[in-house]
Amino acid sequence: MATPLETVIAAARDLLGERLSTNATLREHHSHGQDTQPPHLPDAVAFVETTAEVARILALCHTHGVPVVPWGAGTSLEGHVTPVRGGITLDLSRMTRILATSQEDMDCRVEAGVTRDQLNTHLRDAGLFFPVDPGTAACTLGGMCATRASGTNAVRYGTMRENVLGLTVVLADGRVIRTGGRVRKSSTGYDLTRLFIGSEGTLGVITEVGLRLHGIPEAISSATCQFDDLRAAVETVITVMQSGIPVARIEFLDEVQIAASIAYSKLTGLEAKPTLFFEFHGTEASVAEQAAQAEAIARDYGAHGFRWATDPAERAKLWQARHDALWAALALKPGYQGLTTDSIVPISALAEAVLGTKADIAASGVTAAVVGHVGDGNFHTVILVPPGPEGLAQAWELDKKIVARALALGGSCSGEHGVGLGKREFLEQEHGAEALAVMRSIKQTLDPRGVMNPGKMFLN
Amino acid sequence: MSAPADESALAAAIATAAAAGEPLAIAGNGTKRAMLRPVQAARALSTANLRGITLYAPKELVLRARAGTPLPEIEAAVAAQGQHLIAEPPDPAALFGAGPATLGGIVAANLSGPRRVAWGAMRDHVLGLRAVNGSGEILRAGGRVLKNVTGLDLCKLLTGSHGTLAVITEVTLKVLPAPEAVGTVALAGLDAARGVAALAAALGSPYGVSAAAYLPAEAAARVGFAHAVALARIEEFAPSVAYRTDRLRADLAAFGPAEILDDAASRPLWRAVRDAVPLAAGPADAVWRVSVRPSAGPAVLDGLAVAGLAGFLDWGGGLVWLAGPATVAAHAAVCAAASAQGGTWTLFRSPEPLAAAVAVIPPEAPALASITRRVKAAFDPRGILNPGRLYPGL
Ligand SMILES: Cc1cc2nc3c(=O)[nH]c(=O)nc-3n(C[C@H](O)[C@H](O)[C@H](O)COP(=O)(O)OP(=O)(O)OC[C@H]3O[C@@H](n4cnc5c(N)ncnc54)[C@H](O)[C@@H]3O)c2cc1C
Repeated sequence: MATPLETVIAAARDLLGERLSTNATLREHHSHGQDTQPPHLPDAVAFVETTAEVARILALCHTHGVPVVPWGAGTSLEGHVTPVRGGITLDLSRMTRILATSQEDMDCRVEAGVTRDQLNTHLRDAGLFFPVDPGTAACTLGGMCATRASGTNAVRYGTMRENVLGLTVVLADGRVIRTGGRVRKSSTGYDLTRLFIGSEGTLGVITEVGLRLHGIPEAISSATCQFDDLRAAVETVITVMQSGIPVARIEFLDEVQIAASIAYSKLTGLEAKPTLFFEFHGTEASVAEQAAQAEAIARDYGAHGFRWATDPAERAKLWQARHDALWAALALKPGYQGLTTDSIVPISALAEAVLGTKADIAASGVTAAVVGHVGDGNFHTVILVPPGPEGLAQAWELDKKIVARALALGGSCSGEHGVGLGKREFLEQEHGAEALAVMRSIKQTLDPRGVMNPGKMFLN
Repeated sequence: MSAPADESALAAAIATAAAAGEPLAIAGNGTKRAMLRPVQAARALSTANLRGITLYAPKELVLRARAGTPLPEIEAAVAAQGQHLIAEPPDPAALFGAGPATLGGIVAANLSGPRRVAWGAMRDHVLGLRAVNGSGEILRAGGRVLKNVTGLDLCKLLTGSHGTLAVITEVTLKVLPAPEAVGTVALAGLDAARGVAALAAALGSPYGVSAAAYLPAEAAARVGFAHAVALARIEEFAPSVAYRTDRLRADLAAFGPAEILDDAASRPLWRAVRDAVPLAAGPADAVWRVSVRPSAGPAVLDGLAVAGLAGFLDWGGGLVWLAGPATVAAHAAVCAAASAQGGTWTLFRSPEPLAAAVAVIPPEAPALASITRRVKAAFDPRGILNPGRLYPGL
């Protein structure tokens, strides 16, 4: 008799033909994300193209108790996509249709596999853009919803949570629901849209996303400045945020990261010192005004080397360098892997958190760069993992220390990357047993057979 | 009405009720009792005695207060530090004749004012909550940091759940520096469709418009205008307001000459819009809020005039405030108009007979309704918290 898995694979092949694959290379490609978790092969990969196909596959898997792992582009950083219990990986990267765009209502509806680059290219002529910009252009909007992604613009435009209007979701048993809508105050009942944002593929599969769009600003200017002292850089950030200057981006790079970025992205005029990158959006006049105010604050804290980039090419080079920070850091130690931490603390505790992290790095003996979306207290440590199991153990130990400090300071283990496999152990400490019990109960009731991305988010 | 002195007493009261299977009507100061459906419960439980700001870190842009803290107390505390509540929550006094609202009530109802169109809803600024579920267990959701991505988002679920999932006992909010000055560009004499087109242009402009409302003649008259007006607000440093209102007026020249209202005129005007003062709602009338795509707002407003309903538009046209006779026929007309535009409706305030007789918010499709029921059961397995407030039988 056929096993449940064989039954599902056979039926899925009837449905999808060649688009259901057990090819070894493809399975290997889908065995891990951009993380340091041990890979695990799916038994098959299904390249779905429609909501109806997703519904059919989920119904099959649900009936037969076979695990399903949704996959957007596999860029997530905490083992979210690793099929730890095998089963079917559902690859949504071919669902790339942009279904509707409205200039007057400033919204659009897209399929889950559309990437943010594809969307922004499409929107450019309409004078609109979608602001959420995690540091990888390859990720899909479905994956960004599922991980509740944010990016460098979050201080001004919010994260996925604030920019999604509604979703089409296929539930574990194959039923299709539509949450929210096109209207701004969309939910009259419970906010089920937000329940699926950040659910990491554990509650259902997102197949369509309604997004709120923003007008491309009339004027943009960027600036860099440098400090002799990390604390002064952080104080500058706090004062700028508190003064009400509507800064669009404010990013911190420590001396290790900026040195790496100078080398990797061929940046000129910068030294290996704690650095801030700013960006302002608005009218010509308001951008100039915001920039002058921010510069005055930074100078009060001893900033030097102020440089303005209003020329689009120069600006693009700067932000490309920021987006390439991970690759720049990795280039410091060829052959090493990167482990990125993601803690977030109340902004008043940011200096303490970053200084403590730097001390931990020094004590651990590994090389690590610090870079962050400091406007909201979130910073990453890119730990360069020495080859071999010992190196990995060393890196994880450092990660744990950084998380413990963030939690002690009233923060969280993750500001944007999520839980996946890597951060499950911290969930109870952060939310408490009672809240975790409610989360488990919601998971249990929406996915009673436990087929949706099993083993993620919750320890069991 | 029992009003426990602290969170643990409140939790104990809920645990007792849960054990007895006794439904509870949950309130703060009870200002919004006439909102949505009447709750069928023998006993009422209030958070009114859970008062006080427990943490305010202006540098961090974070405020935490117990649920029963009156909103004006919180507004005064943040104003003293030059900050404000981002979502601009309304004062229920104008519509419900009672006040002040509590923080917990505003969050439970997810009520936001005109700034919603540019800066998001109350829900978007709730960073964390403490709450007691239907079994009497104390829950924490979210935290105090500005972004949080760990675990399911219980915080957003509880915001706007109208006390049907858990009783909110404490709220952590993000606040922002209050703008130094406010200015308004007012275009008179446009019909609703042209008015909303002007508002769309204003919202799409680079001047950072923070509110956009259209008042037909009758509503406009209630706040001192001789004709219908389209209003766009700019909040900024004083010199920027002057510059931007001027530029915006120039950009909107195609819609006719505009008047610029200064700070002293703008502040009370937008407070009135926030509190729905332009609405001509008599004590026996019902009040509805319809949410649609902004461009569909005029059709809803104009189309309902024949049913004896009048109102105005906020959120660039996306929110239609309506008042009229509290009859099943009027309600049916509102629902039909909202549905025809792919929007949603809320019977926001009504005398009990109407609220008990009709669906006060759109019924959910069966698959969605089953999730709603399951979420409810995960928090409140005995179904004792505000039964029937949103949907009959939930
Ligand atoms: C170099 C680099 C820099 C980054 N920088 C940032 C940053 O600055 N800010 C930030 O927030 N994040 C950052 N990230 C993380 C990034 O946001 C996520 O990797 C991305 O959002 C995931 O998108 P994806 O399409 O690759 O999803 P995947 O990695 O394929 O999947 C992620 C999770 O979502 C689930 N999933 C995917 N698609 C769906 C769907 N349609 N329905 C249901 N579940 C689904 C998967 O099962 C998995 O659990 C960075 C990542 C990299 C590699």
